[in-house]
Amino acid sequence: MKKLTLLLAIFAIGFYAAMAQTREITGTVTYSGDGSSLPGVSVSVKGTTIGTISDIDGKYTIRVPETATILVYSFIGMQTLEQPITGSVMNISLQQETVGVDEVIVVAYGTKTKRALTGAVTSVGSEVLDNQTAISPLRAIQGSAPGVNILTSGGQPGENPTIRIRGIGSVNLSNDPLIVVDGIVFSGNLNSITANQIESINVLKDASASALYGSRASNGVILITTKSGKYGAKEAKLTFNAKVGFSNPAVDTYDLVGAEDYMKYSWESIKNTGIYRNGKSEAVAASDATSSLISTLRYNPYNVANPVGTNGQIVDGAELMWDTDWYDELTNDNAFYNEYNLSATGGSSDINYFVSGSYLNQDGAVIESNFERYSGRVNLNAKLKDWLELSTNNSFSKSLQNYPNQAGTSYTSSLQWVYVVPNIYPLYARDAQGNLKLDSAGNPIYDYGNAGGGQSINAVRPALGGENAVSSNMINDILYTRSNLLSSSSLKFNLYEGLTFRTTFGYERYLYDSYEYDHNQYGSAASVNGRVSQQRSITESTTWTNLLNYTKSINDHSFSVDLITETFDYKYDYLNAQATGFLPNVKVISGSTVPESVGGYVNQERLVSYLARADYNYKSKYYIDFSFRRDASTRFSKDNRWGNFFSVGGSWILSDEGFLAGSEDISLLKIRSSYGELGNNQGIGYFPYLEGYDTGWSNGDNSGVLQGGVVDPNIKWEKTGLFNVALDFGFLNNRINGTIEYYNKKSIDLLFDKPLAPSLGDPSIFTNVGTVRNTGLEFLINTVNVHKGDIYWTSSFNVSTNKNKLLKLPQEEIVNGTKKWMVGKSIYDFFIREYAGVNPADGNALWYTDGDEEGTKVVTDDYSEATEYYQGSALPDVIGGVSSYFKYKGFDINIMFNYSFGGQIYDSSYAGLMGSLESAGDQLSVDIADRWQQPGDITDVPKLLNSNNDYNATSTRFLFDNDYVRLKALTIGYNLPTSVLDKVNVQSLRIFMQADNIWTYQSHKGIDPEQNIAGTTNNRSNLMKTISFGVNIEL
Amino acid sequence: MRNMKNISKFLIGVWVLFAFSGCESFLDEPKPTDSLTSDAIYSSTEGVDAYLSGIYRNMRAQYEYSTDVATTDVGGIYSMYFARTVKGSDLIQNSWYNFDYENDNREPTYRRVRVTWQFLFDLVNHANTLIEGVTNSDLPDADKQIYIAHGKALRAYFYFQLALEYQLSYAVAPNAPAPPLYDQVSYEPKGMSTLEEVYTLIVSDINDAIAGLPDTRINKSYINKSVAYGLKARILMAMNKDWDQVEAAANAAYGGNPAAALAAGEYSDGFDDIEATEWMWGMDQQADQSNYYYVAPHAFTDHYHDAYYGTYVDANFVSDFSASDVRNLFQKLYDVPEGDFQEWVTSKFVFSFEADIPMMRTPEMILMEAEALYHQSQETEAHDLLFVLQSNRDPNAVKSSATGAALLEEILLERRKEMYGENGIQWFDAKRLQRGITRGPNHRVVVNLEPNDKRFYLKIPKTEIDSNPNIEESVNDGR
Repeated sequence: MKKLTLLLAIFAIGFYAAMAQTREITGTVTYSGDGSSLPGVSVSVKGTTIGTISDIDGKYTIRVPETATILVYSFIGMQTLEQPITGSVMNISLQQETVGVDEVIVVAYGTKTKRALTGAVTSVGSEVLDNQTAISPLRAIQGSAPGVNILTSGGQPGENPTIRIRGIGSVNLSNDPLIVVDGIVFSGNLNSITANQIESINVLKDASASALYGSRASNGVILITTKSGKYGAKEAKLTFNAKVGFSNPAVDTYDLVGAEDYMKYSWESIKNTGIYRNGKSEAVAASDATSSLISTLRYNPYNVANPVGTNGQIVDGAELMWDTDWYDELTNDNAFYNEYNLSATGGSSDINYFVSGSYLNQDGAVIESNFERYSGRVNLNAKLKDWLELSTNNSFSKSLQNYPNQAGTSYTSSLQWVYVVPNIYPLYARDAQGNLKLDSAGNPIYDYGNAGGGQSINAVRPALGGENAVSSNMINDILYTRSNLLSSSSLKFNLYEGLTFRTTFGYERYLYDSYEYDHNQYGSAASVNGRVSQQRSITESTTWTNLLNYTKSINDHSFSVDLITETFDYKYDYLNAQATGFLPNVKVISGSTVPESVGGYVNQERLVSYLARADYNYKSKYYIDFSFRRDASTRFSKDNRWGNFFSVGGSWILSDEGFLAGSEDISLLKIRSSYGELGNNQGIGYFPYLEGYDTGWSNGDNSGVLQGGVVDPNIKWEKTGLFNVALDFGFLNNRINGTIEYYNKKSIDLLFDKPLAPSLGDPSIFTNVGTVRNTGLEFLINTVNVHKGDIYWTSSFNVSTNKNKLLKLPQEEIVNGTKKWMVGKSIYDFFIREYAGVNPADGNALWYTDGDEEGTKVVTDDYSEATEYYQGSALPDVIGGVSSYFKYKGFDINIMFNYSFGGQIYDSSYAGLMGSLESAGDQLSVDIADRWQQPGDITDVPKLLNSNNDYNATSTRFLFDNDYVRLKALTIGYNLPTSVLDKVNVQSLRIFMQADNIWTYQSHKGIDPEQNIAGTTNNRSNLMKTISFGVNIEL
Repeated sequence: MRNMKNISKFLIGVWVLFAFSGCESFLDEPKPTDSLTSDAIYSSTEGVDAYLSGIYRNMRAQYEYSTDVATTDVGGIYSMYFARTVKGSDLIQNSWYNFDYENDNREPTYRRVRVTWQFLFDLVNHANTLIEGVTNSDLPDADKQIYIAHGKALRAYFYFQLALEYQLSYAVAPNAPAPPLYDQVSYEPKGMSTLEEVYTLIVSDINDAIAGLPDTRINKSYINKSVAYGLKARILMAMNKDWDQVEAAANAAYGGNPAAALAAGEYSDGFDDIEATEWMWGMDQQADQSNYYYVAPHAFTDHYHDAYYGTYVDANFVSDFSASDVRNLFQKLYDVPEGDFQEWVTSKFVFSFEADIPMMRTPEMILMEAEALYHQSQETEAHDLLFVLQSNRDPNAVKSSATGAALLEEILLERRKEMYGENGIQWFDAKRLQRGITRGPNHRVVVNLEPNDKRFYLKIPKTEIDSNPNIEESVNDGR
């Protein structure tokens, strides 16, 4: 209670250092390696804020209270030294920090030293997290964790990235890794977690590391550990940081044609239809095109009735009345970003705490898009008795996400609008003569392209009629509200020497509310006076874990055994309501006149598990460990619900052997390897083994159900066997260190929608049939390039490869959109027609088709005759990152790139923009200028043609290399010298400039290189580049 | 420390107790909340009614067989009908359905081809599942008979559409390849059948349906005996045979009393209410089960309520209507020159999210009866019956002097005038009677169909060829 009062007091009144009786201590700090003096070393009195910094010659002077007993010397790259005060002169020599094999890291259900690891674990800490503006924290590990492919689809702030650890192990189930926060499997939305509150993110990549998560581990596991205080008589530290910046799209969009060119191209497309489809003469076709152009486009942006003459040029005297730049209208310039964090941490010998509050607000790339988050956390550990320790981690977060449509094909989808609606269609409604229509207040009205009342032109837009994305983004609402309570508490009993028992109770409650309002006067719901649809779901999960551990060392033998039981209960409670008929400005369902739909259901799953782990080592040189988990999941029938998962791993510290131990150059050589079998039951549905009649098909007042298709009652989880072998190395006192690693991951019993012929009615049956293998190499190297005097410079580089190969399928081949699955190919190999350019004689598109002789190809202008071929993969050959850190005195620079090479992308947005104006009124890219125009033209862009054709149908014409390098993070900071800070009782003060995604090289331009794993586009908004300025103060 | 020992014993005791007891019942607790088992469906008439309701709802749903074909012109059954409508010459399309309007939407990879196939076979499968489930149930025999008849009526209807969409008229070549025949739930794909085989099943099903279905029904969105008679008349008519049976079935369908079956005053009410007297069968939309803007024809032909404003009326067709005809609902809405395709619009169909969709109306039955009489050489009776309808629609109607082929032409024109926009009547008649379709000069796209033109039917979808070992790529040769 006393401690708690103290804690409260710290918050209530702040604190300051009272200095009564003092004495002076002086000395010099040197580097043990070469004896050179070390400037900039922080010297402080342990447990207080009293401190100073060494000068250019490594000399320091500090006034300490009489009561002080220990001085702490710390400097980046050096081991921190705590030295008892022995006199008034203290000359100190600091040793270089060995990038620690003895560092303790978080693993499944516990911690381990790096030395003892037999598995593949990548740990990412604050040095990476603090240098990025990652609203969803896992985005920050992109480029820093070998073997982890991360991509973010779209520029809406607060969206979570897609994460794939070591390739794609499942075709139809989830490929998402299991996320564990402070020991509890996380069921909420990752964007509720503030990066600033995270201590480390550990990625468990192989079986040895992740087997204890059993039936949910085959896609890898990510352990997020939040910050906590430390035991020890250190005084509390208060940290405040603030960042303010602005964002713009990280890459430019396509160049699109203007209104004048668009009119001319449209004219040409109609003329060509006359000539090439309807057999008219050139002259007749041209004159028909001139006279029918406006009735075809249905709008006339010019002030004359037939603006394009029979020569295809704009007639004299015609003037444009509008030329709408939709991209400009729909996107933000310099979207605002700001973020603030305040935290307090501290601890005494038997209690420690970390308390933090954060606020973030970021505008997105599309107008009106925004993300705002409030989050708070209290982590507390207390030694209640000498045999009992309490730990509790609690967080609450709330976020509001304003999410205008910016992907997909809904009429209001912002980027689709840009790619579809040409500049000739006006932002504001016009009458048949092109004059602005005004409302009663004299203001222009947005043009929805559906004016009735007999107006023949400038009334009905052929594309996306009845909508106006600019207006709908502003007057409609799409708002997602999320709140997340996450709590995990444990009691640890020290039962006997080496024997401990820990019981942990985790609870999470995640509330998600999706609210949409469609305006009562304009747009799709105007005819029903507006619509509100609201969905609300509550996700609750409870985890109870009991762990008994016994650890013992006898001479050179050490072993540790864990026995664990765990129950997991997950409940998803969903409710929705939708209604129409609203008065102006009434936007809640109670204000409606007509209920449209209501729905609701509860999904529940449970898991019961028994776990065991045994670790053994001899002389801390030879390690072996064994993990086992037996899971029962409610997702499977009674006969199939139990499954066993295991791993076995070993390692050998080669560098500790006699023949290497004396070596000056070799600091570490460690070989480790593991094998294990894991499962995947995520994304399978809750009761996939039950055949059912689904509700929700009522006909009028009569309840209706519809048979939901055939099911396999014996459906099981997917299983993955994972082999891993690695070499960890460190040279020159670990100034060069790294890892080289190989894995072979074979996933069997993959669930497939085994396709059935469409005539059977059911398109498919879901059953365990497939096998896929992922193999890859990962390489990571860290170097300390310069460490001399004031200069400290390090670099890091990593690269990973992945080969994905299907080994077994339910049938010889399965066509899945632009891909075809076949044994020997990958899940993401494109299988599409091969474009062969344009026939110079008639401007038709050509594709390849198999010739009569085996292995030959001939061209055809009939798309349905053309043969589909394998055309490369959407999966990149190599991904990775490069980073460097440079520090000189108070200045530091951190720079980080990530890259991806060898993947392909099928750009359907660009395909749309390179159409032949088959349907009148679709937007064009400026690249259409290269089109075929007359016999003899050599080009690869077919002629314009205003009638049904396949010119821009799916083919290699729109398949592009998607290599990119992105400057993901650049931070330039300055730390104010202690000499200044001392005077104001501030421990440290840092100002910095941070730039995210500031530069991108990409082989295919027009869209963001990060689209999706499958390498296809979906009218997504671009990621944003953000430049921000910040300050970080520690008291 | 003694205390400590007790605590530890207690803790480990609790833990062991928990760990090894009761977990199976803990695991059995979660149950699905949003679906029912087949036992629950077939153990009561309420259950089977619910499945039937689900099938009817599916027929008018925004069918989303896969995301790449979830477009406005491939919705429920109504979209199949509207595609047939715009293939004719009476209406001019300038919106969704343009590819159908151009008679160009028939390649193996095109969405009309894929969706019509998948959608109808999905429905066939539901009908088969219903029939099988009811047959194997413990329901009373009387109930079983009704539900099996209902299932067969649906199956006959779906296969009839498949036969029409994927082959020329039955009369051209009964042995021509037709879609695969599944008369029960199957997991093994079958090869192509022949029209003869398909129509044999259709006719046998519809006869069973007539025998087993009662007159009563939940409401007009469900098939009853009268509707089954109407379907039978359509089916035999499409086969161009057994005109005596067509006559009998059509007569039974509307009850034989034209005066009672017709309500001319309703014609201008907007064709949006299933309760209208003349409607025998329809799709009943309501605000909470709407297809929104997918609904054809209403969302396209209506130029007065916010939707697509996409369909116009051919001027030649407009001129076939007398001024006093209740069906003359045409207006010159747009300020365009004479001969422009936008010259005429119709207010026959009124769009709203609650607009009901007609599937079968009594005038069609009367006209089928008249045509059947004509084909049985009872021209006088045929002409009299035709005039009953004509004078109902136009109080100033004057009986024509047409005889022979001219009388048939008059009946066929009356069918178009009565039912344009509803179910592709012109396309249906041209197909079954092996006539062409000629468009007038003010059409937006002038495409004419020859008799038995290939464009009267669709190719077999590539998705079927790819996953059905019994259907070869060559199935589309010559199609």
